[in-house]
Parts: sequence; C-alpha cells; structure tokens
Amino acid sequence: MTIWDPTVVARLSALELQARVLVSGFGTGGHRSRRISANIEFADYKPYTPGDPLRDLDWRIAARSDRLVVRRHHAEDELAVHILVDASADMSTGTSGRYLAGGLDGSKWSTAAVLAATLAQWAARRGDPVALGVMGGEAVRWRWLPAAGGRAQLARVHRVLAEARPAGRAQLAGALLELGARVRRRSLVVVISDLMESPDTWGPSLDVFGERQCDVRVVHVHDPKEWTFELGDVGRFFSPEGGPLVNADPADVAAQMPEVVGAYLAEVRTWLARCRGLHVLAPSSDDLSAVAAQLLRGV
Amino acid sequence: MTPVLLAPLALALGALVAGPILAHFTRRRPTRRVPYGAMLLLQRVIERHKRRRRLYDPWVLLLRVLAVLAVVVAVARPELQFPGVLPDDAQSGPVVVLIDDSLSMDLIRSPEGPADATLFTTARQEAVAFIRSLPDGVRVGAVAIGGTARPLVPDLSTDRGSVAAEVAELRQGRGETQLADGLGLARRLLAGGGGRVVVFSDEAGSVAVPQARDELGLLSRQDVALEPRPVRATEVGNLFVTSAVYGDGLEGGSVRVELSNVGPRDVEVPLVVRLPDGTEITAFAEVPAGGSATETVTVPEVTDGGVALVELDDPWLKADDTFAFHLPRVGAGRVLVVDGDPGPTPTASEVYFLERALAPWGTGGGIGGGVLPDVTAAGHLPELDPETHRVVFLANVSDPTPFAAELLAFVRQGGGLVISLGDNVTADRFNSALGGLLPVPLRRPRALVAVGEAGVATEPPDVALPLFEPFARGGRAAFQGVAWTRLFTLEPFEATEDRSVLLQTTSGLPLLVEGRVGRGRVLLFTGTVDLDWGNLPLQSSFMPLVQRIVSYLGGATAGDGARLAGQVGEVVSVPLVDTSAPLEVHSARGSTAARVTGDGVVFTPAEAGAYRVETPGAPPLAWVAVNTSPAESDVRLGPPLIQLAAEIDPERYQRREPLTVWFLLAAAILVALQAALALLVEQRRREQSTAPEDVGGDHAA
Repeated sequence: MTIWDPTVVARLSALELQARVLVSGFGTGGHRSRRISANIEFADYKPYTPGDPLRDLDWRIAARSDRLVVRRHHAEDELAVHILVDASADMSTGTSGRYLAGGLDGSKWSTAAVLAATLAQWAARRGDPVALGVMGGEAVRWRWLPAAGGRAQLARVHRVLAEARPAGRAQLAGALLELGARVRRRSLVVVISDLMESPDTWGPSLDVFGERQCDVRVVHVHDPKEWTFELGDVGRFFSPEGGPLVNADPADVAAQMPEVVGAYLAEVRTWLARCRGLHVLAPSSDDLSAVAAQLLRGV
Repeated sequence: MTPVLLAPLALALGALVAGPILAHFTRRRPTRRVPYGAMLLLQRVIERHKRRRRLYDPWVLLLRVLAVLAVVVAVARPELQFPGVLPDDAQSGPVVVLIDDSLSMDLIRSPEGPADATLFTTARQEAVAFIRSLPDGVRVGAVAIGGTARPLVPDLSTDRGSVAAEVAELRQGRGETQLADGLGLARRLLAGGGGRVVVFSDEAGSVAVPQARDELGLLSRQDVALEPRPVRATEVGNLFVTSAVYGDGLEGGSVRVELSNVGPRDVEVPLVVRLPDGTEITAFAEVPAGGSATETVTVPEVTDGGVALVELDDPWLKADDTFAFHLPRVGAGRVLVVDGDPGPTPTASEVYFLERALAPWGTGGGIGGGVLPDVTAAGHLPELDPETHRVVFLANVSDPTPFAAELLAFVRQGGGLVISLGDNVTADRFNSALGGLLPVPLRRPRALVAVGEAGVATEPPDVALPLFEPFARGGRAAFQGVAWTRLFTLEPFEATEDRSVLLQTTSGLPLLVEGRVGRGRVLLFTGTVDLDWGNLPLQSSFMPLVQRIVSYLGGATAGDGARLAGQVGEVVSVPLVDTSAPLEVHSARGSTAARVTGDGVVFTPAEAGAYRVETPGAPPLAWVAVNTSPAESDVRLGPPLIQLAAEIDPERYQRREPLTVWFLLAAAILVALQAALALLVEQRRREQSTAPEDVGGDHAA
C-alpha cells in the first residue's frame, strides 16, 4: 500500500478533518501540570517557612495583616502524549459507528482511529510531543512511533492510522509492557481498545504505568449492539481473530448480556484502579466530542 | 387395583413422542455466520446461559412429551380395575348366612373394650340384624362353620325371626373354621339355584379361605353371589404356646416352652406350668411383637408323669391360653423281686443275677432309665400296687399261696408277673395256688441231659414277637448259647390268643410262656434265673432279656398308660387291648362323654387340657394331651375371601373405572402448562434483553 492509495488518502483526509473539527472545540492554552512549582499562574497561598524564596512573599498581605505568606504557582511542563491503539481483528466489527465518510466504515477501528488522530492533533497543536503504538493490525508502517513534536510527527501518526487495517490479535498484556518500557515519566498514556481480552491477562501490566507516575486513560471502544447483542436472528457467531463458532440465539443471549457486561466492566475498573487510571467508554455510535472532552478533562 | 388398557395397540402411537423431542433438538438450528467482536462477552454469556437452558428447556420438553403420552394412553382406553369389590346390585333370592364360631372368633374386639365383646359376639349381632333386615318372603338359612360346619336350621325358611333366634342362640366354639364345608352346606341348602351367601367371619389364618377355593367355584357356577362381611378387631394379636417339651434339667427336669406373639406390641405375661400332681411353677415370659420366645421352666426332680399344662394370660384371645403336653414318668420304675431261694453265697441266689440285670448301674435309680428293683423275701411281701411296682418277679418261690390272691388282683389291674422256677417249686402247690395266673399248669422238673453233658440249647426267638423285637437289631443268635440241663415241664396245652409260647429249647420244650389275665400279663419261665439249671445268667442275652421283659410287661399296662395327642373339637380314638372293664374319660372338668368300641374308646374333647382314659380304681390306661388348633391361634388376617372370589369370578367381583377422560384432561393441562412455561421463558428473555444501563465512563478509582 502506498500513500497514493485512494482509499488511504480518503481515509487520511477524513481523519485529519475529523481531528481538526474535534480539536477546534477544545479552545487554546497550555495544560496544567499536577505539580506545583514556580511559574506565572497563581495556585494558592501557604504560610511562610524558612527556606521559602523571599520573592514569593506577598508583601501586601504582610503589610495588611502582619502575617507572612508565600504565593504558589502551577508549574507548566512539556507533556508527552503516548497513544496505544488497538488494531486487532475484533476492531473491524461493528456497523453502528458514527464515522462513515471518506473510507471510514463505521467499525470500532474507525472510531479508534479518529480518536487517536484527534489526540495527536490536539497534542501537536499544543506543541507537546506525541508517540503512537499500534497493537495488531496489518499494513502498519510504523508499529512504534517515538515521541516527537511538530507537524511532521502529526503527519506520520495520521499516515499510520490511515494505512493500518484491523487484523490479528492485540496481545494487550505484551503491548502494555512494551509501552511501559518506552514511556517517559509523568506522561499521558492513552490506550484505545475494545479490551476484548480477559482483564486478568492484561490488568497486571498496567502497574508499570503506576510506577512511572503516568496519567493512564483507557478509551474503551465498543459497538453498543455487540454489548446488547441486538444482532438479529440466531446465528453462528465467530471472532475475526479466530476461535470456534458459537451457536447463539440473540434472544437468549441478550437477556444475560447486561449482567455479564456489568461484571466485565467492574473487572476492568478494578484493574485500572491499581494505577489510578481513567476509564472512558466510547460507544462507536456516539459523537466522539463528548468522549474526547471526558478524556481530556483535567489535562 | 389393576390398571388395564382396553386398546393396547394404540400404544404404538407412542412413537409420536419422538415429535417434540426431534423438534426440540432440531429447532432454530442457525445457518448464518456472523462476525462478532466481543466474543469474550459471548462466551461468558454462553456459560451462564447453558445453566438456564438446562433449567427451562428440559421442562418444556418434558411437559410436551408427557402431553403426547397422555393422549396416547387415552387413546388406548385405560381403566382401573378394583378386584375384590362387592357388586353394587346385590342379588335377590334366597340367602344363606354363614357365621364363624371358631376359636379365633373369640378374639376380643378391642383391648380397651369390654372383655365379652368378641369378634364372635359382634358377628352374631350383625348376622341377626342382617337376617331381620331382609325383606318379607325371602327364604333364609344359617350355617355355623366353627369346628364342624352345621346348619342351624334344617332348611331355608321364610320365618326370619326363628332363623335369627337360632343364630342368636349360637355360642362360641373352640374348633377350626370350616369355611369350605360351610359353603358346601350353603350350596346344598340353595339346592342348585341362585341366591346369596353372606359370610360373617374374621377370615383369619392362612388355611381356611384358600381351602374354600373349590366350593367358591361351585357357588359361582351355581350363580350364587358371595358377600363376605369380615369382622375385624381394632387390634389383632394373640399370644400362644406353640410347643412345650419336657427334658432333663440341672435340678431334675425342665420344660422348654415356645411362645409366639402375633400381636402388634411386646407383652410380658406370667407363665404357669401345672404338673399332673398339682404342682405349679410360675415364670414370666417376655415375647416381642410379631416374634417368638423360648422359656425354660425347671420342674421337680420326681413326678408321676402324665399330661402337664402350660397356662398363660394374654390380652387378646383367652381360648387358647392353655397348652397340654406329655410329661414322662420321671424317676425309676420299680420292680418287686420275691426271693424264694436266698442261697448261701451270692451267686447261688436268683436275686443276685436279677438285681444286676435290672439295675446294672446300681440301685440308686435315676432319670436316665432302667428300673429300681425292690427285693423281698416270700414271707414279707408288701402290699402290691400297680402305681408303685409295675412288675413282680417270683424267683423260685416255694409256696405262693399266702399272696396268690393279691397277685391275681395285681395282674388283673394291669400289673406284670414273671414266674421263674427252680428246685423250690412244686407243681401241685403252684397249680393250686396260682391256677388263675399260670398260663399252663406245671407238671414236674425234668433232667434234659446226663450229668457232665452239655445242656440243651435254646432256639433263637422269633423277633416278630413284641417281646423280642429289640433283638432284631442284634443279639438273637446269642440265645443259642443258652443251654439247659434241667427244666420244668408243663401240662400239654394248645396255644390260644391268651396263651402262647415265646421261647423254647431246640428240643421243643417251652421255656417262656405268656398268658393274659385281665388287663395284665404273666410270663412263666420254666428254667431258673441262676446257674442251677442252665447258664442263662452268664450269657450276653440275659440282661437285655430281663430289661425287655420289664418294659414289655410295664409298657402297655403300667400306671402311666399310653400317650396320645388330640385337638379340641376333633374325635380322639384311644386304642385299647381290653375293653371289657368299664372305661371312663376324665379331664380336669370332670367326666367326658365317651364311646367304647371294640378297639378302644372314642371321645370328642371340648376344651384343651389333660384327659385320662381309665377304669375306675385303676391307673390310667391312656393320657391324652388335647390342645386347640394352632391354625386358629394365628389370628392374623389371611387372604381376604372377597379377593379369592374375585380370582375365581373376576367379572362379578371387580369395579371398573375408565380413565380416558382423565388422561385427556391431563393432556390438556400439560399442554397448557408447557405453553405457560414457554411464554414465561420468552417473557423473561424479553425483559432481560434491555441494553446495559449507563454506558458512560467514570474514574474507576
């Protein structure tokens, strides 16, 4: 596949367009760090203790109240954004997706790609370095793009997302561990996946991000019809990743699905809690602006 | 109750059951293949859903299969047949009432009720009421079936009052239920026509009802309807003695009593063993419900023999609480030996050899057997009593005149007398003094061989004779070793029924002659019982011969008499040799009516207990232990009469209940149930098929 593949070009254009549209709604300005440090933006006061810089003393308060307090400011940092996107075969399913234009087929992968491109666009716009990792998939030009800033990096990210097609298995546990080895301390790690591997297998791998004090945010992409099993009449269901055929009557399965999904989500959140991660549900049928806003809230 | 299918071929439609089964397993087989990206969730659902399918779908399938089966069975026209049910349409016509007055009917109706309220009184009351309730003009008869089946009125009568009165006069009997005979009598009273036979009985035991099968068949062919009216007790039970056997014991004798309890609860009752001499020994027996027990009672060391009784007191059936059994004469029989020739040395005396032959283990007596010889001189003969001495030996007595009359009376009363001769005996004195006792008059002593020669041998006896029966097993040839040098000769005589030669020499001289006098016997021995005239005491045949003579003379005519067993209500026949003397039958209640025939005495005991056949003033000739029928003591319910009647004539004695409608109804209910269950399952599916709530995310932490 080349850059001149019309499908890829169309998809790339659609991705960039969607990313720009979504990012334009976020406004401008730097992002706040969780760290408190000397800087411009006021944070709060604290009583003076010996050793505090005298230039931070608020003389006005000292003159008025005869108390010594120092002013504290939010620190401003360069925030590396590491995006790990799932391109496994399971991501190719789903037909109720919102993003259908320009080569996007409404699958879970379309949703994931748009969201990843949006994040990259947002980071580039802020001047922050962006890294990209792709789990599974085929026609993946670069499986790991190291963190870098600038428009060239953004173009690379968009190109990878446009060219990649869902295939194979995600191998979440291994991918998370590999990302953990590459990620900078105090980075923003965004995992975009349908998480269709047992949480017991990949959950422990999240600990590496906790050790590196990373801000982990997991975007859980899913097709609502898959979770409610509104899939028509009885059929022989199979996973694109392989495995046995399963005869199932949606009428029977749907009755049980809410309880199973509930238990499954509880498992996912339990594992995320260990690294203080954020779990964001991303139904493929919904507009991603709300998802992106929830994802970037507080950054 | 028997389920029957009138159209069993319709069961072939059962193959239809395969329909819902096939439908169940083939329904909704998927054909389209659907890619699914959340297989992790689907597999979890499948694991849970399998359990639900196991719960619901098999029930639906089962209900459908049962519905089909119910329809199939309904097509096969099922019905329930209740055998042994009286037909609703009771026949009109003559009626014969059978009332059971056997021993088992004496069972009290209820342990808490009055003691005189027995099954019999209830049956009698019901029978009377039934007869009185019959319509006017109906001919009715009555038959009692206890002991011996007998009509209470000679023929069928329209006078219900008189028939009812006869039934009301009937008294409880002690015999066995004779149901078959009673049905036969009823059949004859009905004279080949139809009618009804109404039976008031407890139907107890396992014998009476099955024995009536043939008569029931005849009644059925005669178109006679049987109407059993069983009379039941609220608590069926009985405690009774099944056997009592005398045996040796540590302190004398013992009586081993076997008891059986057919009642529903354990009982502990006093057990009294009453000996013929009036001695009472009381013990307590504990018998488990439905089981048996053995009680051993020690009795005194010496008793007179006869018939003893075991008496108990149980709460159900009193009529069989006495059990009679034979008690042997405990202790040694006594033989009086009259020594007519006390010799200068022990071996010169007949008594020396007789004593050792009679009591080889000594003169201490004992239960183990043998006799106890009393030796006396001819001048000191004690008073003779057959109760004391069974046999008297006159051994070479010179002059029996002083006690000849006493001996005659003794023998006539049944005593045994053995006369052995010798040098002291003179023919004239004996012939004159004992003329009424001697089987043959004596003639004179005669030397058989010259001095120094061997004696004349004894001819082996005829073992067909009762006296020599024991020698058939061995010892007969030993008589050939007995040799005689001298014998008393007898006057010529011819053998008759009362006089016969039992033993003789090879030369034909009589050695032992038997004669009968009155009820006793006399054995005349023409030799000596010492070594004067022969070598008999030294031969191996001597001791068994003497022992056998004593038992032979004492066995048939001695004081304890013959021993027989009888049953209440049945004829007891006592064979007797001599029926010329007046004979009576006595029990504890007094004299019993008896009939003397040429062969003995015949009587029918009405109560259990000890019965004696005797001549007034003489020892009993026979003891009869009379008991009630053990079959009657087992009061447990046997096979019902109506059930037997139904086996013989099933069409008449069964009720039919068609079940087709019920099966169709069941099929409809099953169809409705399966439909409801299927709907319920479907509804639950729909209710739970909603999307997960609140798909929005949040911080897990």
